[in-house]
Amino acid sequence: MNGILNNPFNITYPTAVQTSLNSAASFAKFDTSGRFVAAGRNDGSAVVWDLDTKAPVRWLEGHVKGVTSVDWSRNSRYVLTSSKDWNVIVWDLASDSDPTRRQATIRFDAPVISASFHPRNSKILLVLLGTGETYLVDLRKDHRGRFELCEAQEESDDEGQSSRPRSAMTAARFDPSGRWVFIGTNTGCVLVFNTRTKTMVARHKISGVGILKGLDFAKSGRRLVTNSSDRILRQFNLPLYPPPSADGEYIEQELEPMYRFNDPISKIAWHSMSYSPDGEWLAGGAADNANHKIYIWDISNDGQFAAVLDGGREPLLHIHWHPAKAMIASTTNQGNILIWHCPTPERWGAFAGGFEEVDENVEYEEREDEFDIEDEDESALRKQKAEEEEVDINGVDDSALLVDHLHRTADDDEDIAWALEEPDDDEGGWRLKVMIDDDDVY
Amino acid sequence: MLQYTLSGHTRSVSSLKFSPDGTYLASGAADKLVKIWDANTGELVQTLEGHAEGISDIAWSPDGAFLASASDDKTIRIWSLETMDTVRILKGHTNFVFCVNFNPKSNLLVSGGFDETVRVWDVARGRTLKTLPAHSDPVTAVTFNHDGTLIASCAMDGLIRIWDAESGQCLKTLADDDNPICSHIKFTPNSRFILASTQDSTIRLWNTQTSRCVKTYAGHTNRTYCLFADFAPGAKHIVSGSEDSKIYFWNLQTREVVQVLEGHRDVVIAIAAHPKRPLIASAAMEKDPTIRLWADQGVDSWIGAET
Repeated sequence: MNGILNNPFNITYPTAVQTSLNSAASFAKFDTSGRFVAAGRNDGSAVVWDLDTKAPVRWLEGHVKGVTSVDWSRNSRYVLTSSKDWNVIVWDLASDSDPTRRQATIRFDAPVISASFHPRNSKILLVLLGTGETYLVDLRKDHRGRFELCEAQEESDDEGQSSRPRSAMTAARFDPSGRWVFIGTNTGCVLVFNTRTKTMVARHKISGVGILKGLDFAKSGRRLVTNSSDRILRQFNLPLYPPPSADGEYIEQELEPMYRFNDPISKIAWHSMSYSPDGEWLAGGAADNANHKIYIWDISNDGQFAAVLDGGREPLLHIHWHPAKAMIASTTNQGNILIWHCPTPERWGAFAGGFEEVDENVEYEEREDEFDIEDEDESALRKQKAEEEEVDINGVDDSALLVDHLHRTADDDEDIAWALEEPDDDEGGWRLKVMIDDDDVY
Repeated sequence: MLQYTLSGHTRSVSSLKFSPDGTYLASGAADKLVKIWDANTGELVQTLEGHAEGISDIAWSPDGAFLASASDDKTIRIWSLETMDTVRILKGHTNFVFCVNFNPKSNLLVSGGFDETVRVWDVARGRTLKTLPAHSDPVTAVTFNHDGTLIASCAMDGLIRIWDAESGQCLKTLADDDNPICSHIKFTPNSRFILASTQDSTIRLWNTQTSRCVKTYAGHTNRTYCLFADFAPGAKHIVSGSEDSKIYFWNLQTREVVQVLEGHRDVVIAIAAHPKRPLIASAAMEKDPTIRLWADQGVDSWIGAET
């Protein structure tokens, strides 16, 4: 709503720290609405911050070892935390109870590196373990199960020689549609699985990367950025994947990066990276152990380097870009979450009615009749006339709804239909109950 | 037609608000009390005592869990509907607090007062988050828009200002040629317009984007007090009290007075429209500190005319 009154052209990248949230966090992630930030901590707890009040609103305490990842369901009702204590916990923020109710606890037999919700159904989870295995966990009644995603091996006739060591999986993500799971390996491959059939549909060898450390997508889902042990971020344009075939065939294809991002001088490694909501910018969090630096590249401008944001002396651990705004949350190794924003200069002209601010002096050209004296009756009549026009006081601008609708009709395929079976009850209208501690009323 | 007359307050009733689900009606008055009434039966449910001075405005949180009251004792109290007790006292205003409202998520509260500022509060912690040097005269009304991204305020300086809720920056100022004291504002349900009552006996509908006045409603009397105005149930009419002790209804589009209700014996300050049913609550000043509930049943009345 305020977008109408704000200048719509100022959405670029953030430039200054707005707030620092003291959270003892090791990473922090915005929810899909951008209203909250969830921070994972090394002591095994997670904190949900309300960005309106810049205050913690929920403490999620359920792990006994460090939290390794958090994820939000699409309407922010459910939060998932994964931990080194071998567990993944799903929390229900719509519950009134304090402490927050656990929706599910899923136990594995190894530390959990990361876990995420299926973008369309929070009852489907993707879990990566410290042992290099990836599991799809389906909590739905009719699909319940834990499915390991196994890399298809090249067929070799003589069995004795097919002992190529299985590569370990080091990063796992759903693509934004949820149709595919992308997995990075320690041998520099990106594997693509179909979420529904759990079969591998493609293997992309990427030359020279070493170990893949992280994956991220632009919102459209067609662009992938990888982080790897060779200290280069690479952006790829993804091919279209065919529906999985019955005989287990897959595409074997080397991918050529569209852009490579690195610091040619300091050769710095990257902790994480995140796209802007429109996919026009990419932010990279530098693994610099003396400084807090975020690099920004301009994707729409041939991936040119745009800026470095300097966040002071506390080294950076993690960054995440806001889902809608020019805002980044970056976490320092002291556990502070820096919220970066784009400061807008005060518009003093707004304080006077009918005034407009101009940047430079302009020669004013008056209209022919601008200062003519108008007959009072006539002007009253004209005003009356203008007021005849109907006004719509109820209709909300429905462009947002329209987009949602288009989004929906485009997904009439089997994979999406499968994911939408037994939907979770993560509806848009839920409220986070305002909790007031009883202690210090006055 | 008149359905109930609720007596209980001993001095001017300054503000009336229906709960978001329409179950209760809350009233605040100069007798320092907040009373909660059953909107269906008209029975008194609870009296909330605590303020040291008279109350100018009350507001329900949209989640129905809290009620806020703004008082001349310079504080705002937040009451829990669960415990019917004060859960927070917001201190910070340096003069009378005159108006108060919650944001749609119920986590923020805005208030305005005679110290000429607008304050944004964290409901859960009772802290001031922002103080906007909003006006150069007492602030008479302040409210969030439907999605909570904007704050609008108006004051006795005759200006209506629209603020960005997140940054606290002034986005624009609405002003007429001559600045009559602006006594109440309310966003339309879609936030494209602001309904503003001014003490030149006029109510105007402003387009927030073009900064133009698109409708003018007149016929009632409003020269001295800050009268409330509201959209009547169905959002096709506008309703306001008047200093001639009557209640006026206008057709939103044609701007004609379509109905006048008589019954109060003093200035009708507070008015509230029920969120669901064709029901209006009204309250008057000193000589007649009663609350009246008016239900619509007739064919030729404000809602019957449309249905």
